[in-house]
Amino acid sequence: MSFAATAYVIRAEMVKTIRIYFSYPVIIVFWAIFPVLWVFPFLFQGKALVGPGQSAAFQQLTGSGNYMAFILIGAMVSNFVFSGLWGVGNSLREETYWGTMEYIIASPTHPLVILVGKTLTEAAITTCIVALQATLISFLPFGIAFTVAKVLPVLLLVGLLMLGFYGFAIAFAGFTLLIKEVHGWVHTLEWVFFLFSPIRYPVQVNVITAFVSKLIPLTWALIAIRGIIMLNQRDVGIWKIAGVLLGMDAVLLVGGYLTFVALERKTRRDGTVGMH
Amino acid sequence: MSEIPSPAPALDVQAVVKNFRRGRGLKKKITRAVDGATLTLPRGELFGLLGPNGAGKTTLVRCIATLLIPDAGTIKVLGHDAFKDSLFCRQRIGLLTSGERTLYWKLSARDNLNFFAALYGLTGKARDKRIDYLIELLGLKDVERERLERYSSGMKQKVSLARAILHNPDLILLDEPSLGLDPQFARFIRKFIKEELNRKQGKTILLTTHYMDEADELCQRIAFINKGKIIDVKTPEQYKRDIPHTEVLVIRCQGQPDTAPIQALPGVERIASEFKDGVTTLKVVAPRAETVLSEVIELLRKGGRILGIDIKQPTLEDVFLYVTGTSLGADTSEQKPEVQ
Amino acid sequence: MAEGSRVQGFKGSGTRTPEPRNPRTLPLARLRHYALAVWAENIKEWKLELTYPLDFLRSLIDPVVYLLPYVLYGIALVGGRYSPNLQKLVGTSDIVSFITIGYVFIGFMNMALWAMGFSLRKEQMYGTLEAVFAAPVPRWVFTMGMSMHSILHQFLMIAVQLIFITAVFSLKVNPAGLLPSLAMIGLMLVALYGIGMIMASTTLIFKQGWLISEALGSLLMVVTPIAYPLAVLPVFMQKTALTVPTTYGILAARHFLLGEQMGFSVGTAFLRVAVLCVAWVVFGLVVFALIDRYTRRSGTLSHY
Repeated sequence: MSFAATAYVIRAEMVKTIRIYFSYPVIIVFWAIFPVLWVFPFLFQGKALVGPGQSAAFQQLTGSGNYMAFILIGAMVSNFVFSGLWGVGNSLREETYWGTMEYIIASPTHPLVILVGKTLTEAAITTCIVALQATLISFLPFGIAFTVAKVLPVLLLVGLLMLGFYGFAIAFAGFTLLIKEVHGWVHTLEWVFFLFSPIRYPVQVNVITAFVSKLIPLTWALIAIRGIIMLNQRDVGIWKIAGVLLGMDAVLLVGGYLTFVALERKTRRDGTVGMH
Repeated sequence: MSEIPSPAPALDVQAVVKNFRRGRGLKKKITRAVDGATLTLPRGELFGLLGPNGAGKTTLVRCIATLLIPDAGTIKVLGHDAFKDSLFCRQRIGLLTSGERTLYWKLSARDNLNFFAALYGLTGKARDKRIDYLIELLGLKDVERERLERYSSGMKQKVSLARAILHNPDLILLDEPSLGLDPQFARFIRKFIKEELNRKQGKTILLTTHYMDEADELCQRIAFINKGKIIDVKTPEQYKRDIPHTEVLVIRCQGQPDTAPIQALPGVERIASEFKDGVTTLKVVAPRAETVLSEVIELLRKGGRILGIDIKQPTLEDVFLYVTGTSLGADTSEQKPEVQ
Repeated sequence: MAEGSRVQGFKGSGTRTPEPRNPRTLPLARLRHYALAVWAENIKEWKLELTYPLDFLRSLIDPVVYLLPYVLYGIALVGGRYSPNLQKLVGTSDIVSFITIGYVFIGFMNMALWAMGFSLRKEQMYGTLEAVFAAPVPRWVFTMGMSMHSILHQFLMIAVQLIFITAVFSLKVNPAGLLPSLAMIGLMLVALYGIGMIMASTTLIFKQGWLISEALGSLLMVVTPIAYPLAVLPVFMQKTALTVPTTYGILAARHFLLGEQMGFSVGTAFLRVAVLCVAWVVFGLVVFALIDRYTRRSGTLSHY
């Protein structure tokens, strides 16, 4: 298939996905509001355990005692990441549910091209939602301020993070062709990330979580992002971290692609493509 | 000597109406899926409801099975109101609905039947005996412990049938029982319904179908239903007799000829045409086909090549077309009347 | 009627079959029938669940993975296991036990919203809802059967959670508080059944029923004092929390097991939960009956 034809398919997939997305406006509103609500238990927990405002133990672990800002930044970044997991990882499963998966496989377009279209759509929508959340949060008294000098490096880090994560999501999409029952596994993956990366808490507090977290790109990105936003650090070793993320991205993208291709072939061999 | 009261009919449907709302917001419209349906089934009858897709057959069956509440009219099963006494009626009704997914496909036939037996109050040895009997009767012995997801459509339908009669109901509702089945399974199902359920066990059966030959073969009486209305209720022979001296001229020709001039010919009562793979099959209903034959051929020859001509005695399908003006193969789901 | 040739009878036919039961029999016989149907529904759900053994195992491990970040967050905040601030607020300082008990109980709330709430939706997805509703048992029997499965599943998950936390962190609770906690759990489950009935029926009519469960669950997660005492919540949230059965479950269990001060007596807690039981169950049955009637009028029962 020529580049132009491929680009056309990607565009068509984006248009289709956006139309379906906006046919459920309630869902958009839900995803804009509720992920912010999910951090409230942590804020109340902090207030109960150490009182409002600052935690000395947090200061020792992270360089800042502002646990509320810590939680909110983790929430925004994880929102970005997990919407990719849900959106991209689950997307092919939805095609199976609608009964259209077999027609996609039967077409001359590789399913990965379809996935690219879905990925781009997901990225665009999530960026808008998270930007809205970030704007709202910056008006609240949690000590989070966004300036251009802070936003640009954060965007670079988030972009590199998402590249690798989409590679992971593509591999996961391949698994969904096999697994059939997906929602539970996506939730499990989310909670594993919550446990082994510093989204909700500083992973240094436990030896095992500290070790495992180093293998996860999200850890590197979050530490750097918090350093920039909360600690006003100009030099977080951003290029070093970018390099690490790029390396991980390469592994995840290539690995994700190969995994997807192998699993898609397996489902065609087993005859389970259209099975719900 | 006082008269012994005759038992209540198995099913008594009186003027049932069912409307559905379709569309969204301000564009909602109400369509009448069942429009004043009335029929009475004496005990032991095998009764057919014959009509095209979208005629209202399934809706009426679901009303009888208490899955839908009608907007008007009454339904009585063995003299009991289906709405007020729904538990009693459900105990007396066996239901088979159309569709691939109506069983737990991750469970075996036996597990499925065990579960539904419990819902109908069958327990212990009586349940096991009943399930053994049905599995034997329907030829499922070799596969009873395998998951349904591995069954063919025909085998799944057998399990559905077993579920419908598991609790020995008095009234069995069969909604398109042979839809989508290959000829071998379809023949089995029909034979089972007629010989085993109706003749041997004396069950009252309401069967819906859009297959003419199925209704003709199985049913003692047939109701024609179209656009939600029951048009007529007769035996198959009565239907055929009621079109006296009517023959059906069947012509196959290339292309899609204009049928209006043919309809306008004197002596032509009805026309139905079906276009498929570049060929039109035209059915012209007339008292004597040969009186219109030459004119019809002349009109058709202008449009394309004639591939075949036949003159037939009317089947039930032709009777349906004659009575309702609609072919049994049509999809009338969008043609239901809108209610203001 | 077209006469077919005389055909042989089917093999095995002619066996005497049991007479159909009359549902209007003695109350005891009817109750027995319903109990049988509840049990059959429960067994069927277990059989279906165990056809996906990996998912079953995952569902047992998930609660542990879900709980740990909250525990570790607490430890990171305080710099250890014991919080002087918590001691001041509620009279107990052990944050691990405090948080664990809270999350064990919130699992029950999630069960009502999700497991119970989606029970009928699952039947719709299977394609069996109409067949099941055509059976001569009242609708609440099915939700009760599915609730039974959900509750047993929940207890299994809790057992795994508690074993893990005890092994890794050791759980410091008062053993004498176990029985009264279980009594409170029992009452709470009855009230949750009512909430579950409401969720089950709404998922029948709203295609995006999961949104309602997710939204309600999110709100309840915030107002319910899972990992913090009621006192840290704004006043309006505290009042809302007191209408939710799990609030009393959590507060009472922490009182019995950890010595947390509730702000009202044990008798008051049990009485309020009893009232909530009646209120939620009645409300749940009414909502369910109304929605059942609505779906039967509108014909959307089989829609998925």
